[in-house]
Amino acid sequence: MNDLELKAAARRNRNSWILTAPALLWLTVFFLIPYLIVVVYSFLTPDIYEVKFRLSLTSYLDVVSSAYLRSLFLAFKLAFQTTAICLLIGYPVAYFIARSSEKIKNTLLILIIIPFWTNLIIRIFSWRIFLSYNGVLNDTLMRIGLISSPLEIMRTDLAVILVMVYVYLPYMILPLYSVLEKIDFTLLQAAMDLGANEAKAYFKVTLPLSAEGIFAGSILVFIPALGAYLIPQLVGNQQSLYIGQIITYKIKNIPRNWPLASALSLVLLFLVALLLVLMFTAYKRRKDKLKGLVA
Amino acid sequence: MKLNLSPAKLYKSLNLTIFTAVIVFLYIPILILVIFSFNDAKIITSWKGFTFKYYQLLLQNTDIKYAFQNTILIAVLSTLLSTVLGVLTALGLENKAFKGRKGIQLLIYIPLVIPDILMGVSLALLFNFVRINTGMFTVLIAHITFCISYTIIVIQSRLEGFDHSLVEAAMDLGAKPAQVFWKVKFPLMMPGIVAAALLAFTLSIDDFIITFFTSGRGFDTLPIYVEGTIRRGAITTINSLSTLMITFTLFLVVVSKRIRKIIL
Repeated sequence: MNDLELKAAARRNRNSWILTAPALLWLTVFFLIPYLIVVVYSFLTPDIYEVKFRLSLTSYLDVVSSAYLRSLFLAFKLAFQTTAICLLIGYPVAYFIARSSEKIKNTLLILIIIPFWTNLIIRIFSWRIFLSYNGVLNDTLMRIGLISSPLEIMRTDLAVILVMVYVYLPYMILPLYSVLEKIDFTLLQAAMDLGANEAKAYFKVTLPLSAEGIFAGSILVFIPALGAYLIPQLVGNQQSLYIGQIITYKIKNIPRNWPLASALSLVLLFLVALLLVLMFTAYKRRKDKLKGLVA
Repeated sequence: MKLNLSPAKLYKSLNLTIFTAVIVFLYIPILILVIFSFNDAKIITSWKGFTFKYYQLLLQNTDIKYAFQNTILIAVLSTLLSTVLGVLTALGLENKAFKGRKGIQLLIYIPLVIPDILMGVSLALLFNFVRINTGMFTVLIAHITFCISYTIIVIQSRLEGFDHSLVEAAMDLGAKPAQVFWKVKFPLMMPGIVAAALLAFTLSIDDFIITFFTSGRGFDTLPIYVEGTIRRGAITTINSLSTLMITFTLFLVVVSKRIRKIIL
């Protein structure tokens, strides 16, 4: 590189710093620094309204109490169940749309997306109307004589999973669709021409090619599901409290306990980070292996 | 007689069945909500006759009016600011040799893979720590914070996708850098900018949890208002309000399709 080129590169580098500075500053002040404050608050002394600025380790001793560990476990269980069911239902749906004719593809996709654009709280509220004790479902089932007394679905763990799947299903379908849509289905035909039966062709060709979508969709469902607050709060019960609810109660409701909420948030953050690192490593290893096979 | 059903056909009809079931699953609760917004009964139970009563009550409700105004105000402002930040940042990150590229890109991705509730908690504690009263200002800051990662990424993907030979052609033909930018590059970026803005707007009007942590008493957005009303059990107007909000969403879908058509 000559002098002129070096100067131009330096100038471009400086321009990039100038252009990215506002967002960098914003994310530092309102995204990174707040987490430092969470760390600081987790070591303070709780107070029923705010915090006392005196060092304490009580919040970390509290974290390992069985009630909070149970909430953490419940959140992971819920996130896992939601992801698994979304994948099980979402895959055939995405596959169906991807293999539909070009003309109707977009319409089918929009059908999936419209509920996703509808306000979250309204979607949850509509399930309350549908599922409640004297709601539409029970009313209809009783009218046609399928049941004699109303089913109690609202305020159960089943209702929570049902609404979670309802809300997060599009997050699974869309990334799955976008990879399935790109798959060259002549490969599948080729595999079958070479003697693979349909099931074998599917497991050897289509499924590995859609791994990226499965991965993306699972992250998009699992991570927000871990922090679920609104859905368990509106359709769940007080016997199964999820970690998102505990954190919110400790921040908002009196008696508050901000150090505990901070410590629980940090534990959740740590587990999410650990999970992401594990998933990405596994994914990369798989991809490298595939590359190795091709080469 | 052999049944003429190859596995392929079987899979296909199975997929069609699942697809149809999912569409029913996705739309049934919403349809019921819309239908029952015209139901003349205080509690949700069965059908008691057609009425517009709750729509009239809705229009008279000043709390809802304020919540609606707050929601739109926050959505418009956070969309504007996060889109501008998105354009600048995406342009800055276009330079592959940029020394800060990897770090900044990582910082942009992280908020997307962390549960929303944690951003809510951390911002609530930040505002408490620096003694800022929660209200419109803090909600606006929070909304911009969760929108910018999305706007940057959407605009970036557009910048990567378009035909750069057009920009080079303009330069070869002697256009000044400012001309190249405003006459060629910016119009090419426009679909990405519109998509980013629409996404930011939708995210902002939809958000509950982060707003819940960063809004004080007296500053309700619609989702916050609706949640509070459900919690208090005074839900008579929520059906009609929800129906109007769903209509608004459909309106946005149509408008965004139109805008994209015009710009593309």
